[in-house]
Amino acid sequence: MSFRLRKTIVIALALGGALAALLLHLLESSNVNANARAEAERAAIVTLRAISDTSGWLGAEGEGVRAAVASWSGGAEQRKVRISNTDNRTIEASSFPEDVANGELPRRMVRDEKPIYDLGQELASAVEGNAGGAAATKEVVALEWSADGWLKIATPIFHEGAVVGIVQTVSKPAAGATIAVPWWPLAVGVVVICVVFLAGAFMIGERKLPLLAFAALLLVGFLVYGGRAITGALLEQRIAISTQVAKQVVEEKGKALAVMQTAAVAAPQFDASLWDSDRFLKPRGAIKPDLTIDRAKIAKVVAGIAEANRSVMIAIGLFAFVLFIFVGSESAAKSWAALVKYREAYSYVTPAMIGMLVLVFFPFFYGITLSFTDQNVYTTNSPLKDLWVGFKNYTEILGDFNIMERTDAGLQFNYKNFYWTLFMTVMWTVTNVSIGVSLGLLLALILNTKGLAFRSAYRVLLILPWAMPNYITALVWKGMFHQQFGVVNQVIQMFGGTPVSWFERPLTSFIAVVATNGWLSFPFMMVISLGALQSIPADLYEAARVDGASKWQQFTSITLPSLKPALVPAVILSVVWTFNMFNIIYLVSAGEPASSTEILITQAYKIAFEQYRYGYAAAYSTVIFMILLAYGTWQNRVTRATEGI
Amino acid sequence: MADRTRTGDTPHLPLHIFLLIFTAISTYPILWVFTVAFSGKQSLAFVDLPPNPTFFDRLRGVIPWPDEVSLANFVSVMTDQPFGRWVFNSAVVAAATTVVGVAMACSAAYAFSRFKFPGRRLGLMSFLVSQMFPGTLTLIPLYIIVVQWLQLGSSWLGLILVYAATSIPFSVWMLKGYFDTIPRELEESALIDGASPARIFFQIVLPLAKPAVAVTALFSFMTGWNEFILAATFMDKEPMYTAPVGLRFFVSGFSEQWGFFAAGAIIVSIPVVVLFMFLQKYLVSGLTAGAVKG
Repeated sequence: MSFRLRKTIVIALALGGALAALLLHLLESSNVNANARAEAERAAIVTLRAISDTSGWLGAEGEGVRAAVASWSGGAEQRKVRISNTDNRTIEASSFPEDVANGELPRRMVRDEKPIYDLGQELASAVEGNAGGAAATKEVVALEWSADGWLKIATPIFHEGAVVGIVQTVSKPAAGATIAVPWWPLAVGVVVICVVFLAGAFMIGERKLPLLAFAALLLVGFLVYGGRAITGALLEQRIAISTQVAKQVVEEKGKALAVMQTAAVAAPQFDASLWDSDRFLKPRGAIKPDLTIDRAKIAKVVAGIAEANRSVMIAIGLFAFVLFIFVGSESAAKSWAALVKYREAYSYVTPAMIGMLVLVFFPFFYGITLSFTDQNVYTTNSPLKDLWVGFKNYTEILGDFNIMERTDAGLQFNYKNFYWTLFMTVMWTVTNVSIGVSLGLLLALILNTKGLAFRSAYRVLLILPWAMPNYITALVWKGMFHQQFGVVNQVIQMFGGTPVSWFERPLTSFIAVVATNGWLSFPFMMVISLGALQSIPADLYEAARVDGASKWQQFTSITLPSLKPALVPAVILSVVWTFNMFNIIYLVSAGEPASSTEILITQAYKIAFEQYRYGYAAAYSTVIFMILLAYGTWQNRVTRATEGI
Repeated sequence: MADRTRTGDTPHLPLHIFLLIFTAISTYPILWVFTVAFSGKQSLAFVDLPPNPTFFDRLRGVIPWPDEVSLANFVSVMTDQPFGRWVFNSAVVAAATTVVGVAMACSAAYAFSRFKFPGRRLGLMSFLVSQMFPGTLTLIPLYIIVVQWLQLGSSWLGLILVYAATSIPFSVWMLKGYFDTIPRELEESALIDGASPARIFFQIVLPLAKPAVAVTALFSFMTGWNEFILAATFMDKEPMYTAPVGLRFFVSGFSEQWGFFAAGAIIVSIPVVVLFMFLQKYLVSGLTAGAVKG
């Protein structure tokens, strides 16, 4: 009796389960620890609001606030409190050692303490800003964590509805530390499903599909159980935290009343449960006015978090299943065997492959993903899911047929339209490649003349334009087309013409960029053609001459066909190069005037790095890629077809 | 009649005239750079024209010879301007790119040439296809990855990594083509003599492939040395500019320092132009070979 299948599948199940357990554990850990920090902030806000309200009732001045500072300073969290009156520009009371060093309190603020006053003004203006709209948009509690775990926090003091001061505290909350989430419940879960599988497998026997289905079922069960457990743990933690906060609110209420009693001022009626608020001073609602916790409300919040976790959970499940299927279907074993068998080849290829994957292929696919979002420079750290816009960018690019637009100056071309730029790009490519091929071929034919003197000298001088870095060429020609001092206009004036402002009209601008690119692109075609011409055996011409063929006949039936195998790939290459010739356009005309001489690739660059619309630019680039891909496929088919003839 | 149509019998004089005109056009911008560079001034004009210039004044204005020859532009571009620093940045980036890129390409090309393994075809094809990705499509993600995530903006390392990776496909195809021409018998006999595969690679194949490796390395170097877009996008702190970005800086926006630009352009171009003249025949064969296979 063989156990091979059962063994493979239980290993697959264990690995899939272990992966799921690990990821679930990480998710739970991050959830819980996000809470730990939030919990510390929440507690600090309760205390801060208690101090702020008490100071407010006391008008943010006098003995009372000194009693408040004394009452709330120190403790396990080493809290320091400062109460300042922004109306009088005084520091009323403080337990910050440096404040006392600057002089007896209360006193006017000194120059170094201006930031306190500024912070007060800032928070006051935030309060004003929030008062206008329906929803609060500006944070009224300033909050900052220092690297060594101190929490700095401040909020305004209200007196009879107006902001009169600011209270700041600095404390070191114990709850800021990370919480270790126990890992063993999930590990036990994995062991349990494996044991259950083994028990069940004995009944099923060595049958592949039933075994796989049974294992998959167990894995799903484990994932559901894991997800539930996380939500359960989260709810428990939240309730514990809220209970703790409720207890704290009761304590702070006692302190506040005691301070009011010391100051001999009657405390107004107030709802201490409102102290448990977020940074917009909006109550969290987890504590009821009788200072007990509101379980239903907390459960609702946790359900919201579980909802947000759902897509992460689905991803975890997918990972676990991919691993499970990979190992369970024995593909893993096969891949591993191939890896071992060809380990040498793979070890040679791996470094280059990793480099390509990370810096070429990943960016490519990431770029395509970006094209479905409206990401811009400010949202690069937001999850792409939140920026998803579907095909909107594409419909915006391809669906915009407003080639003409109505402006104050009448009907005008809209040069920013995609189709105009596409037309321009095609014109640009066709013109340049034609110029390159005809000039290159002509010069090659001349240079190939038998017995021509100084042939190699001409050849070297004619290749120079290709050898120059093309960005330098571009900038040089930009200088030569300068309206006032450029040599091109000097020559025009030499013959009595008027100087041309090359980059103010689309046509002249186009001529300028084509001249530049023509200058640097003919040598490539010339070199290719020359090489091909020299490889044509002389006897072919000899034989043609004997047969009485004219020179033109020799050219069309011997020279051109022999050039084809070299020229066709060169033309394909040069079409792709010219189509993507960024430097010339970007540096010579820069698309002037009004983007009319922009080609697709420079337009995409400008959208990305001058308008900072990354998503839109990515869609634009994807369209360019599609055009090139279509061209490549078509070209491939055509060359194959002609090869067949 | 048959004699008149012989290729050798075309009259040479018209051809020479045509070639001379063309050579003048193809070299004029280069002479222009030299003139501006050696003029010692920042101006685009070679001479100061009188208020009502005659034909000959204008003619003098387009003849590429400076009024007075001066090295002032070269001296101040290297001393007063940070150009020396920019050339140094370019040199470091291009050299490191060459070392990293060629090392990875050599080993990969060897495997593609000598071993049959699952994924070989896929790997080769994917390298070829990657050459079709438009620069701007990968540029945005690369910018986000390198500058915003890895915080490698305005640093040598970021540029080196990106250049090396993008140079791999071309280098792999070039080197693979050459490795294919090295007879296998050499390696097989070494294997029989008990040499390890790594030893065969380093002591037999690589020395034999030295010319191809050298050519590939020089091309990688030239790509790194001449690259403009990525450098302009990644390097936004002035001391970290590469030479191409710096040269553009001289003559972009409201800056019109054409003398510095021209002097810098000569310093930057001379090594690559010389290299290129030696290498262009390899480049042609490499490119067309790749294109035919594609």
